[in-house]
Amino acid sequence: MEDNKKNRTVIEAEVPMGTVHPAALEPYRVRLFVEDEIVRDAEITVGLNHRGIERIMEGLPVEKANSLTEKICGICSNSHIWNSCLVGEKAIGIEVPERAQYIRIIMEELERLHSHFLYLAHGSEVLGHETFAMRLFYIRETVMDLLGMIGGNRVQYGVSILGGVRPRCELDENRIQQIKTGMDLIEEKATDFAARFVADPLVMSRITGVGVISQKDALRLAATGPTLRATGVAKDLRTEMKEYEPFDFNVITQEGGDVKSQLLMRVMEIPESINIIRQAIRDLPDGPITNRSWEMQDAPLTKSYIEVPRGTLYHSYALEDGRVRHCVIRTPSMANIGAMQHACIGHHITDAQLSIVQCDPCFTCTDRAIQIIKI
Amino acid sequence: MSLKSYSRGRAIHVMLVYTGGCNGCDIEIVNCIYSPKFDAEQYKVFLTWNPREADVLVVTGPVTKHTEQPLREIYEAIPEPKAVVAAGACALMGGVYKNCHGDIPSEEIAGPVDKIIPVDAKVPGCAVRPQDIVAGLVSALPLLLNAD
Amino acid sequence: MNITYSILGVLGTLVVAFIVSLLLPGIERKFIHARIQQRVGPPITSPGIMAPIKFFFKQTISPNSPMPRLYNALPIVSLIIVLVLLILLIPQMYFLGALASVIAIIGFLKVEEIMYMFMGSLSKSVLSVRMPFPDLARGAKHPETTRTFLEELSTLRAFRLIAFGSFPVYIAIFVSVAVTGSLYLTDIVAYQQANGPILFTVAGALGAVVFFIGYMILLNEYPFAILKTKADVIEGPYLEYAAKYRSYVYLTRGFLMFVLASLFATLFLGIAPNILNPNFIITLIVALLFPVLMAVMSAFSPIFTYKQFYPTVAGVSILGVLAIVAAFL
Repeated sequence: MEDNKKNRTVIEAEVPMGTVHPAALEPYRVRLFVEDEIVRDAEITVGLNHRGIERIMEGLPVEKANSLTEKICGICSNSHIWNSCLVGEKAIGIEVPERAQYIRIIMEELERLHSHFLYLAHGSEVLGHETFAMRLFYIRETVMDLLGMIGGNRVQYGVSILGGVRPRCELDENRIQQIKTGMDLIEEKATDFAARFVADPLVMSRITGVGVISQKDALRLAATGPTLRATGVAKDLRTEMKEYEPFDFNVITQEGGDVKSQLLMRVMEIPESINIIRQAIRDLPDGPITNRSWEMQDAPLTKSYIEVPRGTLYHSYALEDGRVRHCVIRTPSMANIGAMQHACIGHHITDAQLSIVQCDPCFTCTDRAIQIIKI
Repeated sequence: MSLKSYSRGRAIHVMLVYTGGCNGCDIEIVNCIYSPKFDAEQYKVFLTWNPREADVLVVTGPVTKHTEQPLREIYEAIPEPKAVVAAGACALMGGVYKNCHGDIPSEEIAGPVDKIIPVDAKVPGCAVRPQDIVAGLVSALPLLLNAD
Repeated sequence: MNITYSILGVLGTLVVAFIVSLLLPGIERKFIHARIQQRVGPPITSPGIMAPIKFFFKQTISPNSPMPRLYNALPIVSLIIVLVLLILLIPQMYFLGALASVIAIIGFLKVEEIMYMFMGSLSKSVLSVRMPFPDLARGAKHPETTRTFLEELSTLRAFRLIAFGSFPVYIAIFVSVAVTGSLYLTDIVAYQQANGPILFTVAGALGAVVFFIGYMILLNEYPFAILKTKADVIEGPYLEYAAKYRSYVYLTRGFLMFVLASLFATLFLGIAPNILNPNFIITLIVALLFPVLMAVMSAFSPIFTYKQFYPTVAGVSILGVLAIVAAFL
């Protein structure tokens, strides 16, 4: 069998890490095949989180279906509802007012901020550094307060609707001022933290050279998002989205593809997001925020791709008589699973856990029914 | 107040189990314990990941098929006296996953938490707020203090 | 009359040591970790006193283990060994001759470390292989491999720690032997009463640094906590302890912190723990200072894997050997 071909490596034992585990924020199953505490092969099983979202959405009225997509994930909730509204707007041909587009982008960038802070905090916790994790959670609270102020709830804010943005999410002078002070505060604390993080020799020795994914492997395994950009490939879908055209931002890449590059990748993306939010606040156009002058039509299968904190998100559905048909959702974490499984091979078990967490897994997003077609 | 109930009220160990929800409640509970803004340790609530050490089990998420049996076994592994807190709309009634269908009902959820293990305190919300979680834990305390 | 005086001294020292050791985990958690992490933290009595008392009142379950009674007896053995270590340090017991020498202390510390290996190999928790999941379905990778429990990983790591992780403490202990020229505690204490504490010589200062690092390794404190990293083995050998046996685990840890600190005071400052001696206050100060320093170091570090562990132990051991050489110059 295969073990005879790779006669250099011998698998002695299997260490299953299960459904309930401190390093796992969601239930998933990892089987690590080790030889004297070094991982030789790995198998990640998803499907423990499957709730049948696409099945539930079959036949729902389209406004209800849009609100439901938000419940797919608690970390990237705004991304799902925005993409779902984009599919509907493309299918029916609704024009979204400019002010609403700017507000949607502000919410998406705020979500990118909170997601990256959470990733860094979880990574610190898996490293064993409780102090950094607590400092990061503290900085993250400012972002959560801003999200709660605009949307009404700290998690799952429901800002986008078909045709624009909910009337409650109007940004008046008071809220704009709060966003400005919030951004200043976060920028100051984040740069301070980044300087301290990079200067810490113990943490740096632990994360350099661990969990390396080469550029060739990342492209072969179809990684996406910051996981791909940390290996040196400059592919960011935000440069091709027409909603992001008025904004100026850099596409960050890192070389190396190890845990250090992945962490620094997110650390460098934080100032870019703050920059985009500041531009949006400064150039916010006047006008309405909801477009209610459209009529429901039937539409064939429509697709939409956007760039969310973890990579490229794909939504599609068809409309029939105001109801959703044939909904298909593909989240970026699903594409990154191959890279995750590959990254932990060749390291000690503790480093293998770190290699799995470095690709920012969000297993609640991942569990859809997929059909694998062998090409 | 006897030494037994005094000591039970001064050191409470909490274990978290995530059974497949959207992760919003899980992050809020982690916020409650790890974030210095809320800091449950000042209320003598310690986090543990071992059912043998726990007094209170906090469950979030509608229980999906693959997490039903682990949840039962973890509940059995906790020594008496114990209390269970179900946090979030999914844990209380299945959330949107069990109650919001189009044409095809979902068959993936093994039911809200109280179909599988007995629940003592219920904390509503979607996602549940960190302040409410602490209030929920405190409301489950009298069961622990007065048990024999 | 003299005998009752001695017995009172021994018992009094033991009682005071135990009470102070109950407060040490709380001080570590509230005054150091919580201050550094900018939060309020628990009351001082909670982690050290109230938690063990609460565990006494929980239901005694039978642990999942091939030999449950042996598994449950191991923390009691650990506690007794730490108690014996403290007794050997008290001056009234130096009549025991060779048992009150550096060799006996190192022997008991070795037994303390071996306990982790036994605990790890006997614990079969529900959080590892016994978690119910249909792994071996069609298409699974390597279906015929043996499955190990997470606690067995801890046993392997404990074995490695026994092999090389205890070098710093032992070398530091031998620094005091090299300076004073004798293995017996009576001679070590007497030498320092006459010539001043070893800590203020070059060899002693280096030895103190080496002892501190060895102290952290022996107590499995971050960054040397590879035996019980939360990220992979969860709690390691202690996974199946519940109720009163978990209390013993908690009590042993606090007590070991105190006893190792008074070992330092005896070997490097020449002050043996004895409540009838007014210098006992210095033993108490050292016993409070060591956990505080340890907590500060552990709050700012991640967990080391072998890649960082081996060089650290090698470097610290070389420093210890230099200290011994300096003792002879």
